[in-house]
Amino acid sequence: MPLEGPARIVSELTSRGYNAEREAVTKLASADNPEATLERLVDDLPETALVVRTDHVEAALSAADSSAKPPAGGQEPPSQPDSEDPSVSTGESATHSSAVEGGDPVETKGETTADRSVDPELRSLEITGDMTGESTGTGEYSDFVSVFRDRLERLGSKLRGRVNHRPATAIQNMPGGSEAGMVGLVNDIRSTASGHWLIELEDATGTFPWLVMKDREYADLVAELLCDEVLAMEGTLADDSGIAFVDSMYFPDVPRTHEPSTADRHVQAALISDVHVGSQEFMHDAWNRFADWLHTEQAQHVEYLLIAGDMVEGVGIYPDQDEELDIVDIYDQYEVFNEYLKQVPGDIEIVMIPGNHDAVRLAEPQPGFDEDLREIMSAHDPQIVSNPSTVTLEGVSVLMYHGVSLDEVIAELPEEKASYDDPHKAMFQLLKKRHVAPQFGGHTRLAPEEKDHLIMEEVPDIFHTGHVHKLGFGKYHDVLAINSGCWQAQTDFQKSVNIDPDAGYAPIVDLDTLDVTVQKFS
Amino acid sequence: MREEDKRYFQRLESELDEAFDVAERAKERGADPDSEVEIPVAKDMADRVENILGIDGVAERVRELEGQMSREEAALELAKDFAEGRVGDYETKAGKVEGAVRTAVALLTEGVVAAPIEGIDRVEILENDDGTEFINVYYAGPIRSAGGTAQALSVLVADYTRALVGIEQYNARTDEIERYAEEIGLYDKETGLQYTPKAKEAKFIAKHLPIMLDGEATGDEEVSGFRDLERVDTNSARGGMCLVLAEGIALKAPKIQRYTRNLDEIDWPWLQDLIDGNYADDEGDTAGDGTEDGDDDAKADADADENDGGAADGEDGDSDDGTGGPPRADPSTKFLRDLIAGRPVFSHPSAEGGFRLRYGRARNHGFATGGIHPATMHLVDDFLATGTQIKTERPGKAHGIIPVDSIDGPTVKLANGDVRRIDDPEEALEIRNGVEKILDTGEYLVNYGEFVENNHPLAPASYVYEWWIQDMDDAGADAQALEDDPRIDQEFPDAETALEWALEYDAPLHPQYTYLWHDISVEAFCDLADAVSGGWIENESSSNDADDNDGTLVLEYSDATRDALETIIIEHRQRPDENRIEIDDWRPFVRTVGCEPRRAVTDGAALESDRDTDAGADPDADEQTGEQTERRESAPTIELERTWTDDDLSERARMWGHETDGDNAIEAVNEVAPFTVRERAPTRVGNRMGRPEKSERRDLSPPVHTLFPIGEAGGAQRNVADAAKHAETMQDTPGVVEVQIGRQRCPDCETETFKNRCPDCNSRTTPDYRCPDCDSRIEPDEAGRVECDHCEREATCVENREIDVHEEYRNALESVGERENAFEILKGVKGLSSATKIPEPIEKGVLRAKHDVSSFKDGTVRYDMTDLPVTSVRAAELDIDVGQLQALGYEEDIHGDPLTHEDQLVELKVQDIVLSDGAAEHMMQTADFIDDLLEQYYGLEPYYEIDDRQELVGELVFGMAPHTSAATVGRVIGFTSAAVGYAHPYFHAAKRRNCDGDEDCVMLLMDGLLNFSTSFLPDQRGGKMDAPLVMSSRIDPSEIDDEAHNMDIASQYPREFYLATLEQADPESVDIQIGEDTLGTDGEYAGFEHTHDTTDIAMGPDLSAYKTLGSMMDKMDAQLELSRKLEAVDETDVAERVIEYHFLPDLIGNLRAFARQETRCLDCGEKFRRMPLTGDCRECGGRVNLTVHKGSVNKYMQTAIQVADEYDCRPYTKQRLEVLEKSLESIFENDKNKQSGIEDFM
Repeated sequence: MPLEGPARIVSELTSRGYNAEREAVTKLASADNPEATLERLVDDLPETALVVRTDHVEAALSAADSSAKPPAGGQEPPSQPDSEDPSVSTGESATHSSAVEGGDPVETKGETTADRSVDPELRSLEITGDMTGESTGTGEYSDFVSVFRDRLERLGSKLRGRVNHRPATAIQNMPGGSEAGMVGLVNDIRSTASGHWLIELEDATGTFPWLVMKDREYADLVAELLCDEVLAMEGTLADDSGIAFVDSMYFPDVPRTHEPSTADRHVQAALISDVHVGSQEFMHDAWNRFADWLHTEQAQHVEYLLIAGDMVEGVGIYPDQDEELDIVDIYDQYEVFNEYLKQVPGDIEIVMIPGNHDAVRLAEPQPGFDEDLREIMSAHDPQIVSNPSTVTLEGVSVLMYHGVSLDEVIAELPEEKASYDDPHKAMFQLLKKRHVAPQFGGHTRLAPEEKDHLIMEEVPDIFHTGHVHKLGFGKYHDVLAINSGCWQAQTDFQKSVNIDPDAGYAPIVDLDTLDVTVQKFS
Repeated sequence: MREEDKRYFQRLESELDEAFDVAERAKERGADPDSEVEIPVAKDMADRVENILGIDGVAERVRELEGQMSREEAALELAKDFAEGRVGDYETKAGKVEGAVRTAVALLTEGVVAAPIEGIDRVEILENDDGTEFINVYYAGPIRSAGGTAQALSVLVADYTRALVGIEQYNARTDEIERYAEEIGLYDKETGLQYTPKAKEAKFIAKHLPIMLDGEATGDEEVSGFRDLERVDTNSARGGMCLVLAEGIALKAPKIQRYTRNLDEIDWPWLQDLIDGNYADDEGDTAGDGTEDGDDDAKADADADENDGGAADGEDGDSDDGTGGPPRADPSTKFLRDLIAGRPVFSHPSAEGGFRLRYGRARNHGFATGGIHPATMHLVDDFLATGTQIKTERPGKAHGIIPVDSIDGPTVKLANGDVRRIDDPEEALEIRNGVEKILDTGEYLVNYGEFVENNHPLAPASYVYEWWIQDMDDAGADAQALEDDPRIDQEFPDAETALEWALEYDAPLHPQYTYLWHDISVEAFCDLADAVSGGWIENESSSNDADDNDGTLVLEYSDATRDALETIIIEHRQRPDENRIEIDDWRPFVRTVGCEPRRAVTDGAALESDRDTDAGADPDADEQTGEQTERRESAPTIELERTWTDDDLSERARMWGHETDGDNAIEAVNEVAPFTVRERAPTRVGNRMGRPEKSERRDLSPPVHTLFPIGEAGGAQRNVADAAKHAETMQDTPGVVEVQIGRQRCPDCETETFKNRCPDCNSRTTPDYRCPDCDSRIEPDEAGRVECDHCEREATCVENREIDVHEEYRNALESVGERENAFEILKGVKGLSSATKIPEPIEKGVLRAKHDVSSFKDGTVRYDMTDLPVTSVRAAELDIDVGQLQALGYEEDIHGDPLTHEDQLVELKVQDIVLSDGAAEHMMQTADFIDDLLEQYYGLEPYYEIDDRQELVGELVFGMAPHTSAATVGRVIGFTSAAVGYAHPYFHAAKRRNCDGDEDCVMLLMDGLLNFSTSFLPDQRGGKMDAPLVMSSRIDPSEIDDEAHNMDIASQYPREFYLATLEQADPESVDIQIGEDTLGTDGEYAGFEHTHDTTDIAMGPDLSAYKTLGSMMDKMDAQLELSRKLEAVDETDVAERVIEYHFLPDLIGNLRAFARQETRCLDCGEKFRRMPLTGDCRECGGRVNLTVHKGSVNKYMQTAIQVADEYDCRPYTKQRLEVLEKSLESIFENDKNKQSGIEDFM
């Protein structure tokens, strides 16, 4: 639970009138018994103290039990090179996470407005991969074929060095017992009667079946596979050479040697998504507090605001939606969203992509909003780009993707690998596959274009998604994955499927260190 | 049973026997899979049950038990017999339970439906965690056809038998319990349940069930939690199980409880908690699975809301509160849901101008039918025809439409300003083009039994003749004398007479002069009275005996007056150019609005009161207003004096209303009129079109003439002649095709063949089963199982074999002596789907092709028709003569008079049916085929020899409904031009059909006997459905679907009934004879009286416009056009709904499908989940293409936008379309090369 502990501690402390240092909260959270430690800490605090500091916590911990564990404090090695399941080991612990109660009303209003008047020269914001206005597909069969060929070509190139790859048709003609390697799209995953796994790989020449024995080390990985992701396999051909036994399996993956870029100065970006203006559940108050907070000194380093889709609740997203809309007119929804955007300090740079509730096509990649909608949202002159797109902020590249495919990853993969409670783990899977929405034919919709715009050609420094309305972040091979929460309280639908959204949070990333602070406004 | 009924059945059965003899002789000679007729005759339910189950001894035991106890108790008693081995030959405990459960279901479904064989796959014994054994019943989808009660009782019987054979109860694991709850939610979402238990309820049931319910996966969607359970072998929803748990146990708990109470061996104490809803505490919040809870709660709430809407119907006719108002049934919008483009709405819920509810049963009424005037059918642009299904607001969900011309027709406003009621279909056709507005759609006849069946509170009745005559009687008039007086048309009296009656007796004004006062407001009524008092009479004849000419009331034209007159639907003529409105037959109307006609002369002096003053004249109304007189001729004329002022109205009358105070003028009318006026049409029934009627031959697609396999060799057409010439390569012999086919062996000469007769010695062959592993020959054991003891594998007789189609084809032609030019094309099948894959002799196909009939999957030739009921018929309407009727055993008409002419009504016998013209035509073709078959193939005499369709009368047929496995024998009595199959309601109920648009088929008797074989039936779930596994030779009214027992059979509804409707009473509280009352008596086959006659059972259009209009767009245009014409329909709402329920789902669905679609090879048909990277087909190298194209995605886009615009839909709807249109553009257009339309150049 990356968040719950610290958040609870912070709220507990504030309820008793204390603020807290980030480090202090982290330490408290990692204590054996945070509740007891907290009680002790509060008892021991000097009367004059308003802020709980690290040393207070340390004092409380050592006073309690000399054999207390050393605080974790985020000092663990970045990742363990030979870990089989990196997603679990890195995750939250490598990230300096903490939550700070935001929106103290005394500080927010007007007069204490933070000075953000840094030299604009220091800022830089670059967009790559924006396909708005570049949609050339016309929905022909050949367009679909091109997309998948492009996927195999570009992601396959990352794997061809790792195996001695042969085309499927060539392997079909190799004698039994030969060693073979192949790079291809997963075409089919089946279990055999005896519990082994049969994975059909497809390349531009045809398909070839690969058998993963149930007792081999790779068998576990089969559960992680999605159709149409790119994979390399190596193994031995069976005697009749109609099938190969898998000896090793490779994903395009993020290289372990990956070192993220950072900004040259202390500057922050707020990563949010799923505002859902127009919904009856849109949280005006939380948004107002957020906007107010951006004006405070505390937020003076926040110079970028990234919004990963679902600005508005939209129309016709589900049956009888009009009955649950606060604003029924789609254009009014964007008008009002624009009003909310106006509250954000004018000197913050905004980048946004559409989501599945927005008035653009649902099939991915989704181009940025059309001229009419841009016109409506012009007040803040935001950068409006396609979903997905990569924005590079002072050297730090952020891959923004709304996240519809996360539903599918979570549905298809075992719970420990991807769940709604840990949305970042599902994002790790996408990073590993180097594709934001690999599986075709399921929940995710694909608009065929000449190129596959959904590939992660370059490894991003930060991967930012939303959609599932849950907050979660962690690091995978030193890539920071953040799923921002939302600004919409629990809807009836979410209630019905037991999703308890994390609403009213803004994760703030230090671009110079890639540390995350979560600000809470609800 | 009466003597004549006995004679009737004996006659049917002896004809059946004769046919059987012929068929048996034929079968012995031919090469059919079986040498005997394969449809056993069941004389009663017990026989059917035994035949369907194939368990000997059941019938006898059922007959024994039937007299002593209810069917449910008999099922339990039989369970005991099974457990103790008295019935059935089962060795294992599981087998005994299985036998008992199947028998119970068969018994409770009267041995008609396929549920007992298809709906229960097997019963097995599994182990609990503590090592004890429990019973698992494995259900399948077709259990649906058993209905909730039988499903629930199957569980009870399984448990009872379990206890008797000594097996422990099932202890569900926690994850299994959770799985049940999740699965039911999933199934409901995917397929839909009539009743969906809340998650807690489902868990409660699952936890307590003493046996495990399991079943086959029926859907593609998988559960998300509780997957891969050890004892549940699928992750998909198990439809059969879900039905049994939800619609069986959860819904029918009170019914089961009745039986568990009486059984010592089993104890289901938890049922009481289930019934009381006491399951919340019991369920500790297990596992983190609130998911479904929330879901179901939300849904249940929604359901509850709906139910409130529905159930409140009539309960709060708010006559008691405050100022008061009339009794009204609450409107319900349910029937408008899922409106489809091209199927019009005829009336919005309870809307003014919509169908007026009239109670009564016409002779062609039964259960789930509604009577509409044929003139209305024409005026709604022919969208309604006999048999068209409508979705209705009340009392049930759907009705089959029947034409009844003894009720009020529609009232229309014509382009020339005339407002007329149209009571003649011919007239309707004449004036149809001039109709500007349909102000009222006329009456809607619904019988009392419909309300009983649907348990719907009686809705306030329209004031109609049947009620009025009883009111007259009650008021002391000699109603009988009135009815007998030939000089008076008491149903449609002239105005003078009606007024006389109203003034003379203390009975309300005659319905024909009672206008719809309740539809105008008190204010409008006052204004109308004013307008009337300002009117004058023209063309009055001066003679005193001028009944024929009472003049015309002329009112000044004004919008308000016009609207009021249109609303109360009085006939009149609007002449706005001349500033006048004319009303004939004006006296009752004038008196109703409280005006007194007085004779006056030009000089303004009062003359004597005119001749109507005798009874109701108002003594103080003798003043004269001079102002109108100035316009008059000098002749004596009639002045209309308003005898009351607005202030005279009581508070109650002024505030009388239903939706808003004062919106109903009926009380005001009663205060100012000199007689009582009842509400003419307090209940309006909203409805819309459902399915069109059907009368079509049943062809498989593509049609099949012979069930002979030819693989791909016949091309897409499956042309046998092509297959006979087909060669894959130059090396292959033409006509040799490899197919999967059953191996047969000759017992005499050991020849192997695929035919049913040995090609060498002509003896009958038997299937040759061999073990797929060791190839040893296996003989089937007694139960028909073929398992190799050695290898423990099931043996099979199916093999891949090369067949010389050319030779077979030629031989077949030769053997029946036909040339290839005798038919256009002979179509075979690609492969056989039966277990043994026995082919049909091609000869039969040759003769079918010759007579242009095609075969269903079971070898029979079928014709489908919408079911409609009729209880009395006229020879004239059936296109037969009295002689034919007499020949069929009809001797007297319904009044007991001897049958002498074609117009007399006779009561239909229960198994006699009326064929549609199309069916008759098809039956004649089939008869010719059968005759040829007998002569040319079997070498016997022809059986039918029919040249004229009249000769079909008296022939026997099978009636057979989908989802059932029993055919019912019927006899052809005549023909109708309506595209439906009319038969006695009990005949339909015996097939387990009702008449709300259901359809089923008829086959010619001899065709079924000769050509049906179980060997052809597909070896898959549901394969045995819709096949005549058994036939009922006679109908026992006690053994039919009990829905039909609720049909009323009286000739008149009592006055108390009409008064009770005003109280919105429970239908059961009124005493009207229904079918149930005569069951088991001598009168059970006769005495089906009706309250309304109809001239002909086929009136109005023969086919619904829905079927005659071409494209979907034409239909929708006509639908929207009609919605503008109908007063009772809000065209904007219709447009919204068409967009919302048809266009948007279509667009959204296709757009979604486009972006996730499969692809298919155009050459070999291979499907690919995703586009192959090779681009071409991986199987054959052929061209692969999309399955969803741009064209199919955006076909409705422009139309939808146009409709939204034209009919002024909400911005929300328009915006949704806008967003979609942009999406389409974005996907299908190249940003850099936008397609330019023609408009770019204009």
